[in-house]
Amino acid sequence: MKRKEWTVVMMSSLLIVGLVLASCGPTPTSAPEPTAPSQAVEEPTKAPSPTEAPAKETVTYWHTMSDAEVEAMEEVIAMFEAEHPNIQVEMTRYAYDDFKSALLTSLAGGEGPDTARLDIIWVPEFAELEALVALDEAMPDFDQIAANTFPGPLATNHWQGHYYGLPQDTNTQVLLWNKDLFDAAGISAPPATMEEFAEVACTLSKGEEQYGYAMGGTYFWAPAPIFYSMGGKVVDDGITTADGFINGPESVAAFQMLTDLYNDGCLSPNLLGGGIGTADGHATGLYAMIVDGPWMVDIYKADYPDFEVNFAPIPTGPDGTTSSVVGGENIVVFDGSEHQEAAMEWTRFLLTEEAQLKMAERGVIPVLSTVIGDPSLPDYFGVFLEQLKTAQARVPHPKWGDMDGAINNAYQRMLRGEQTVQEALDQAAQEINALLAE
Amino acid sequence: MKARPSLMERCLAVPSRIYRARTAYLFLLPGLVLFVLFLIYPMAYSLRISFYDWNVIKPLKSEFVGLDNYKALLADPIFRRAVLNTLAYTAITVPAQMILALAVAILLDQRIRGKTFFRVAYYLPVITSWVIVTLIFEYLFNSQAGLINYLLRDLLGLVGEPIRWLADPILTMVPINLLGIWKGVGWSAIILLAALQAIPAELLEAAAIDGADPWRRLQHVTLPLLRPTLVFLLVVLVIGGLNLYISVLLMTNGGQPLDLTHSVLTLMYKETFDRLNFGGGAAISYLLTAFVFVVSLVQIRLLRQRVEQ
Repeated sequence: MKRKEWTVVMMSSLLIVGLVLASCGPTPTSAPEPTAPSQAVEEPTKAPSPTEAPAKETVTYWHTMSDAEVEAMEEVIAMFEAEHPNIQVEMTRYAYDDFKSALLTSLAGGEGPDTARLDIIWVPEFAELEALVALDEAMPDFDQIAANTFPGPLATNHWQGHYYGLPQDTNTQVLLWNKDLFDAAGISAPPATMEEFAEVACTLSKGEEQYGYAMGGTYFWAPAPIFYSMGGKVVDDGITTADGFINGPESVAAFQMLTDLYNDGCLSPNLLGGGIGTADGHATGLYAMIVDGPWMVDIYKADYPDFEVNFAPIPTGPDGTTSSVVGGENIVVFDGSEHQEAAMEWTRFLLTEEAQLKMAERGVIPVLSTVIGDPSLPDYFGVFLEQLKTAQARVPHPKWGDMDGAINNAYQRMLRGEQTVQEALDQAAQEINALLAE
Repeated sequence: MKARPSLMERCLAVPSRIYRARTAYLFLLPGLVLFVLFLIYPMAYSLRISFYDWNVIKPLKSEFVGLDNYKALLADPIFRRAVLNTLAYTAITVPAQMILALAVAILLDQRIRGKTFFRVAYYLPVITSWVIVTLIFEYLFNSQAGLINYLLRDLLGLVGEPIRWLADPILTMVPINLLGIWKGVGWSAIILLAALQAIPAELLEAAAIDGADPWRRLQHVTLPLLRPTLVFLLVVLVIGGLNLYISVLLMTNGGQPLDLTHSVLTLMYKETFDRLNFGGGAAISYLLTAFVFVVSLVQIRLLRQRVEQ
């Protein structure tokens, strides 16, 4: 009796040691405790059983889509499954803020998805972690597919000589102007140049009652359209230095204009935090102009159905051209996927004209140059597609998040009057160069 | 029949005291397994990560960097600021919660009408979600449309300009600390109320007969008898204060402006999941754990002394 009890205790503790060792070692070669019963070590390793019937292959697909996009995506999946009876796509939705941590933890645990729709700025980061399949190597038809996509969004997949994804959708930001406020001030059209923009912003400002211009925060995405339109650059084309770029004369002029607007009370203080959001403020007549993306149509349709949304291109800079910032998402295939062929088939399908046009019905801008001009595209896409021709991508670099932080902090310091625009951007250039040197 | 002890048994020879209680240990085993699997093992793993430049996807490619992660942290002004913010929050909210909770508990201990209502009312903040009350505080302290600015400026005329509560690294601490106090008072009050009710009425009566006024009765009878409870609250609230996270994460959008408003844990999250610096993030959690451990040791020793007296 007594001996038996002891054996139970011992066996179970050894089983635990065995299980822990088997699951903790990063390598399957980690030696098991010699005294541990062998079955405890074998248990977690799952051998493919040959008895399984030739079932459907499942491709998992993670994303951060809106309700409207999910509805359209369900139809796209149905179209795909009809064409590929052996593959089924299982999509999972995440909140944008949780997505990166959810992906990382599941990939680290070996439970990651086969494919995902990643924010374009994350692709170099995940590529650097060696989490992604280089699609230009793995897909024999990569060049043909890539040739039909817009070059800007495609470039965001490039990291150290390879393409780690394909663009799935794209977007950019344009100017939104509140026509009622413009009419009331006797201004007939949105500003076409940056000089006009600064003037109109101040004309339409009335103390705390109304601001000519408002932005959502100081993170780079917010000033980026004006920054790029005024000829600003973060780093050189070869991504080797920020010196003479983020602190060059064009970049300084862009941030100087924004800082002046803020100091003159023409730019709402909400961008420093704790104020009224740009979407609500614009629709309720507090902010005459904001800069935002195509999703605003759906947001206003739901929250302010009577509000008339008016888009215009970003005003032109000193050289007479407009520009903005490229946003959007890329489709990637994960290195740890056991269904890479099926995952790539799904990737191919997402870049077909039928899939792209289906998503466009719900406000998602296509990435294929071949569908531009298709009569089924919504009218308001026009201004965005035009803006996309000159919109620029943020720096495709794994440390982009930190670079964004450096510019964000510089912008904060100049708005708070702690540094001049030049001083703040000189410091940002130093910080970005340190990141590039790592 | 006595079996000859096997090699394994001799190697694992256990003190007879443990052997005699073997059935108890057997029953303790399932809980212990979970404890080891879900607490001890991840903690040990995380300690290991803190010495590496960790690649979370391909751990084998991680580079051993020794104490570099810890050194970098201790030299980082953002980390020091986060520590300062967290310590200040603890130093402000813990005494404030205890004093207010004591006052509430004493009042709730009186014979008053609607006692149940007040007990529920003070406990309600405790059971509401941190996320929801943080969002409510954000609305209250909104610089353009918040109730607080409306009261201070439009109604009372105390300030001329609207105060930008959430745009300033110091002012942001006001709503964060107020929220921490408001949300915590009810819980401490209930604990103290229970302790108050355990104080024999005869002691207070005797003191009254000896001519002690209510203040002296509080000072010389009630407070000494509440000491173990107060020390217990101190331990728990300090640990809670050092683990400040949700309200800061939401109210400052993760350390805005200029990374000056981080708590230790929001910085840990940022390092780990925004910057993918898993080694640095693990080092932060280890420094925090070590600190909490030392503080708790001191406090528990304090607790033991008082009880034994």
